[in-house]
Amino acid sequence: MTPVVSIDNLHVHLGRREILQGITCRLGASGVGKAIGLLGPNGAGKSTLIQTLLGFHKPSAGSAQILGMDCHKESAKVKAAIGYMPENDSFIADMTAVSFLRLMGEISGLPPAAALEKAHETLFHVGLGEARYRTVGTYSLGMKQMAKLAQAIIHGPQLVILDEPTNGLDPAARQRMLVLIKEMKEQHGMNVLLCSHLLRDVEEVCDEVVILKDGKIVHQADLEAERSTNRRFVQLEVTGDDRGFAAVLHEIGAEGVSESAGNWRIVLPKEIEIGALWRITSREHLRITKLAYRRDSLEEIFLKAVGHLRPAPLATTQEAPVHGGI
Amino acid sequence: MAVFRRGYERYNGPLTGTAARLLVMPRFAWERILSHRFVVVLLMASMFWPLACIAFIYVSNHADTLLGATGVSSGFSKMLEINGKFFNVFMSVQVVFGMILAAVAGPGLIAPDLANNGLPLYFARPLSRWTYVLSRMIVLLGLLSLVTLIPGLLVFGMQVSMAGTTWLSNHWSIGGAMVFGFLLWMVIVSLVAITSSAYVKWRVVAGALVLAFFFVTAGAATIVNQVLRVQWGSLFNPGYAIGFVWSATLGLEPPEDGPGVYQYVLSLSVTIVILGAILMRKLRPVEVVS
Repeated sequence: MTPVVSIDNLHVHLGRREILQGITCRLGASGVGKAIGLLGPNGAGKSTLIQTLLGFHKPSAGSAQILGMDCHKESAKVKAAIGYMPENDSFIADMTAVSFLRLMGEISGLPPAAALEKAHETLFHVGLGEARYRTVGTYSLGMKQMAKLAQAIIHGPQLVILDEPTNGLDPAARQRMLVLIKEMKEQHGMNVLLCSHLLRDVEEVCDEVVILKDGKIVHQADLEAERSTNRRFVQLEVTGDDRGFAAVLHEIGAEGVSESAGNWRIVLPKEIEIGALWRITSREHLRITKLAYRRDSLEEIFLKAVGHLRPAPLATTQEAPVHGGI
Repeated sequence: MAVFRRGYERYNGPLTGTAARLLVMPRFAWERILSHRFVVVLLMASMFWPLACIAFIYVSNHADTLLGATGVSSGFSKMLEINGKFFNVFMSVQVVFGMILAAVAGPGLIAPDLANNGLPLYFARPLSRWTYVLSRMIVLLGLLSLVTLIPGLLVFGMQVSMAGTTWLSNHWSIGGAMVFGFLLWMVIVSLVAITSSAYVKWRVVAGALVLAFFFVTAGAATIVNQVLRVQWGSLFNPGYAIGFVWSATLGLEPPEDGPGVYQYVLSLSVTIVILGAILMRKLRPVEVVS
């Protein structure tokens, strides 16, 4: 099946700087309704990658394809098949939401009557039905985010690229946005490429995740597979000499990384009981001061991938697995 | 079913063609511009001069009858002749309205898109930078046609209908020259208006810049001519260059010294290329800081 996004040795220079340094990956399967998360610290190249997929930047080497079409050579076809929600405020301030969406729909190729109908329909869908005759400039931040989402989906694209869609939203609006994104992929069969700093959002919505750092992919994981492994994530704080603790963890089949002195993040496979941790800490003369379960597996993946966690010696071989866990 | 009950469904119907999409932005822009009372008043005011010219054409074509009744000499009827000079005066007056219209309507075309960061939304759709510029040009070309080309063709058509096919066979080139001259003027003025709109956020300033462009270039050309004691400085004056091309194509006597019509056409072509390049440099979906 054609991948939603296929990138082959993509290099992009902006000025004299090489922002993307040979990215290669295949993400999602078109027509299935998959959500792909794009993560990375500031300056990792996420926005440049999105903009290259949109045809805003010309690759200096390599290629990028969306739904089997080259992003640069078949730019018009690609753009007809995608919807884009930018991170920053982007709208025509003195237009009503209906006119704004109608304009965007018509530019995307919808006939005038269909564009008007879809504008109303989409605004009701994102919760702006009652405010659809107000000018977009008068909207609150949350409403503007919803208006941006509406313009991205008015023409029913196959792939929707969302750049920080929950930025500035209060908890209720954020939840509403995530529900809409889930509906887009599950009920309407749209593929979603979600770029976000909020790991919880990505974990909640996405099926796959790609982590970028310094213009390179440092990790690519199938979150569905991650979830199905039923592994448990434990945060452990100990006092004492824990220098050899990583090796001990490895002996019992667990993996761990030390966040700082005495602070450990540990992945326990399903078959290992929590009691095993007590036994090995006792054996190593370590005193447990805190032990807590964590459910945020993506945070572990992300922090390890971008190097914010000190990798334990025995875990280094799993620094950048493809389609795997930590 | 009411739209709020229906829920969202992906659009799967037929899509419009490239030409139809090209006219989407002009349609929306015309709707917005023509909702301004000042623009409507300006459009109405711009019709008075063509009406006056049509009245003059009527008098010219019925001079014998009218002059015979009043007893004025036949030499006076020579002054009423409809020729290239008449159309040159008609065009020169009519473009003043066009210039004001361009200064009023032009700045609102691109500045709001830039101020609201709207370009990524356009360029993430099947719309290239060239198509975007062309769409914006069409907005102004359409509006300016209302005060230049269309009244011009009406005046010319009125003369043809009154003077007959003999006059047309002798003066058909005037019609062609008028269409070419107005188109050349509209392209340059539209480019100036759109470029100023792309670089200046405030509409009033951008509008003033449109007018200032022609005054400043005229001043610069005069300085060059005075300092160097030549006429070639006029090449830097697009307003004069357009006027010279009009005169040449309408069959009027050009000044003997200084650049010829081909040099002026070349200088206008260079102006168009420079304005286009400046405009395209600004119109990027994302700012790249190198």
